[in-house]
Amino acid sequence: MSTLLVRLVPAGLGVVLGLVVAVAGQNGTFVVRTPLVTVLVVAGVLVSAVLLGLGALLRRWRSSRAEGRADGVRAEREAHRRFLARLDHELKNPVTAIRSAIAAEPAADSSPHLRVAAAQAERLGALVGELRGLAALESRPIERVPVDLASLASEELSVLRDELASRGTHRDITVTFPTAPWPLPAVAGDADLLAVAIRNLLVNAAKYSGTGERIEVRGWEEDGSVLLEVADSGRGIRAEELPHVWDELWRSPDARGVEGTGLGLSLVRVVAERHGGEASIRSEPGRGTSVRLRIPVSHNRM
Amino acid sequence: MSDGARTSVLLVDDEEAITSTLAPYLERNGFEVRVAEDGIAALAALAERSCDIVVSDVLMPRMDGRELVRQLRRTESWTPVILLTKVDESFERVAALDEGADDYLGKPFDPPELVSRIRAVLRRTASGRRPLSASDRLSSGDLQLDRTGRRARIAGGAVDLTPKAFALLDYLMSHPGELHTREHLLAVLWGFEFAVTTRAVDHRVAELRRVLGDDPGSPRWIETVAGHGYRFCGEVSHP
Repeated sequence: MSTLLVRLVPAGLGVVLGLVVAVAGQNGTFVVRTPLVTVLVVAGVLVSAVLLGLGALLRRWRSSRAEGRADGVRAEREAHRRFLARLDHELKNPVTAIRSAIAAEPAADSSPHLRVAAAQAERLGALVGELRGLAALESRPIERVPVDLASLASEELSVLRDELASRGTHRDITVTFPTAPWPLPAVAGDADLLAVAIRNLLVNAAKYSGTGERIEVRGWEEDGSVLLEVADSGRGIRAEELPHVWDELWRSPDARGVEGTGLGLSLVRVVAERHGGEASIRSEPGRGTSVRLRIPVSHNRM
Repeated sequence: MSDGARTSVLLVDDEEAITSTLAPYLERNGFEVRVAEDGIAALAALAERSCDIVVSDVLMPRMDGRELVRQLRRTESWTPVILLTKVDESFERVAALDEGADDYLGKPFDPPELVSRIRAVLRRTASGRRPLSASDRLSSGDLQLDRTGRRARIAGGAVDLTPKAFALLDYLMSHPGELHTREHLLAVLWGFEFAVTTRAVDHRVAELRRVLGDDPGSPRWIETVAGHGYRFCGEVSHP
């Protein structure tokens, strides 16, 4: 405000002096002879200065609009996180009370109805816990140490192979990580969380594909990030459903027969974003699905 | 336990729906139960008559569960306390342990789990002495743990541990000789069993062994109990 006033002082002075001169009836003429070159140079410089000023104003306006948008996204995410935390907070006491009420009932074990209530209360309890975990993950501090995604993926793959074998099923799994000219660089992050994200992708690939179908796991380095892709030749997702796959509790109507809570990909997205990266998906019904994680490379050498 | 009578539990929670159902459940399991609706009521109930163990919610009006634990410990009262914690971040849970709670259980919990925690805590605290979990410093051989400064030293030299590895060592060392399942240790580390596989615990134990130079074949501190979990096998003392 005060700087605006200071800038307006010359204009104000000019107007006042002009009025004084006009009132005094002394409206003389002031003629200056200037070489054309000087006029052109001064005019050019003035026009440039005005344009530069306008450009800076425009840039400032644009960046404040972009910041506004980013602030909007952040505010929305924060509101969403608070909602999840509140939901958890408001659900856990009632669920605790339901579970202890059923447990306090001496006939609980012999009543088929109470057994259903007990099982459903347990399921609700697990869901509350997972929502809480997701909400906490959005805000809790995470570890930043060098992590080798290739070895995490290999470990999770060997666990998946064992689980599939123990269920009497198998997938045709191939794994490709570079060794030349050098292996994947380490990313900066929390190994436990990254392992969970990778496990969710592998479990999804196995869940939504049949026995003998292909699962391919690939890793590569690109523009300062490690990309990790888990692709399957399974049933795929319809185009209109793809934008929803990251939403909490969202499940495709096509997936009704498959066990799950609808929190797996939400978790993958949160883990990727907390590491400064992102998750993306491509899919076609009947052809398969590919999910990619992009995680920035660690600046600390292993 | 008191006078050879039934184990007495003081259940502290402001949710009547919980106390009115959990109290009869605990009574069915052989405990004598009194109920208080917040920390102030709990202190009044304890002044009137002591109990064997306190099971308390954390968030309550007037006086919360943490303050209740602090008040008890300030007066050198070592009555064991299990917090039914509502906080969901592991460091806060560990902080709850730091303040002298003996164990914690996140809501909503499986009621039989509460009964087994009560029994485990009572076994651990049977001596009635100041519990390890109420100490700022612990030591086992040449390993020393500064619990408030969150630093570990071996033979006087500082060792570099990640926060989660420290939290795990802290928990194991303040509960020596007890068998902890991977699932329980995972809840200690993460505050929730959420999706993180129990291999996360194995990785942290491997980190601890590497940094502390503890040989899993003949451990001085952390012992693997095959098929079950881990146990802190060193003798732990506090100044």
